[in-house]
Amino acid sequence: MKVAEKDNVVHGMLEDEYRRSQEIVKALHAKLEGYPRGALNVRRKKVKDKKYFYHYLVRRDGEKIINLHIAEQDLSKLRKQIEEREKCRKEILSYKKRILYLAKLLKKSKREGGREK
Amino acid sequence: MKNKLPDNLFPENIKNLLHAMSDVGFFERSVVIGSWVMLIYQELYGARYVLRTLDVDFAVHVAHKKSKLRANLKQLITSLGFTDYFDAEGVEKFTGGGYEVEFIGQRSGGRSKGALSVPEWNVTAIPLPFISIMTDCSDVAELNGFIIRFPIPEAFFLHKLIIAQRRLSDAKRDKDLEQCSVVIQIINDERMKNIIEKQRFSRDTKRRITASCEAIGFPLQRIGLL
Repeated sequence: MKVAEKDNVVHGMLEDEYRRSQEIVKALHAKLEGYPRGALNVRRKKVKDKKYFYHYLVRRDGEKIINLHIAEQDLSKLRKQIEEREKCRKEILSYKKRILYLAKLLKKSKREGGREK
Repeated sequence: MKNKLPDNLFPENIKNLLHAMSDVGFFERSVVIGSWVMLIYQELYGARYVLRTLDVDFAVHVAHKKSKLRANLKQLITSLGFTDYFDAEGVEKFTGGGYEVEFIGQRSGGRSKGALSVPEWNVTAIPLPFISIMTDCSDVAELNGFIIRFPIPEAFFLHKLIIAQRRLSDAKRDKDLEQCSVVIQIINDERMKNIIEKQRFSRDTKRRITASCEAIGFPLQRIGLL
């Protein structure tokens, strides 16, 4: 069987990219910690002819579901934070996919490849 | 404009980033560096090098440590869909679409680590030595109706000759020297000597340049260090 000779430069670039991706995931996870957890939920109430909207941040804490009321004036800030958190999560996911791909390519162990939680 | 780059040279999100940065005047004194420069050289001078990393580096010209804000690049870059984060050294970087954007500034003396604050653009940069070689000796090109600045091949070449020997990783050193070997064909000796004349290199740096030149078979007299 013909085996291609290992190219030091290409291999080094892949190793760099692998290491860089891991560092970015770590940094983005640290950033994620600063964002509020949970999803925004709206409860609608109708009292007589009037409609009322109450916003809640719903998150799970072990077995419990926590509903945290959000005041109207904090809503836009929270929405922005949640939007940024999702952007951050999306980035993490794309880097994790890349790490797995590179791990296979570089023949890293599964643990190194970032499969562990 | 003598240097005109094709509109589709860069991926769409990188092109948008360059466009936005050009609009606020970033490329008046700062330059795009890293492996993307090789793409520009390939287009303008025919020096072909296909390997490209996914980080987009900019050498930022630090006018003054207390310069007032000119444009908020942090806001600008995040508005283009990039996410900002801090690396272990405290340098703020940006990631989006698989690319990583980072700024590098001239480290003046010492071995200080950490981040270099650039208030003029509201970003932090990685302080590294010899970066000013590339910001001081640069040229501009037109891309899709806007201007980007890049180091002239001689400055890029000289910078690589120096840093190649400072690398801790063999693979990175090989990559630097491989890029040098490609750039050799477009080096102008006169411009090279002009750059060298402006620099004051230590004995160690001269030794590094010599070692790199020997590794790629580049005659030292063409640099003017002999």
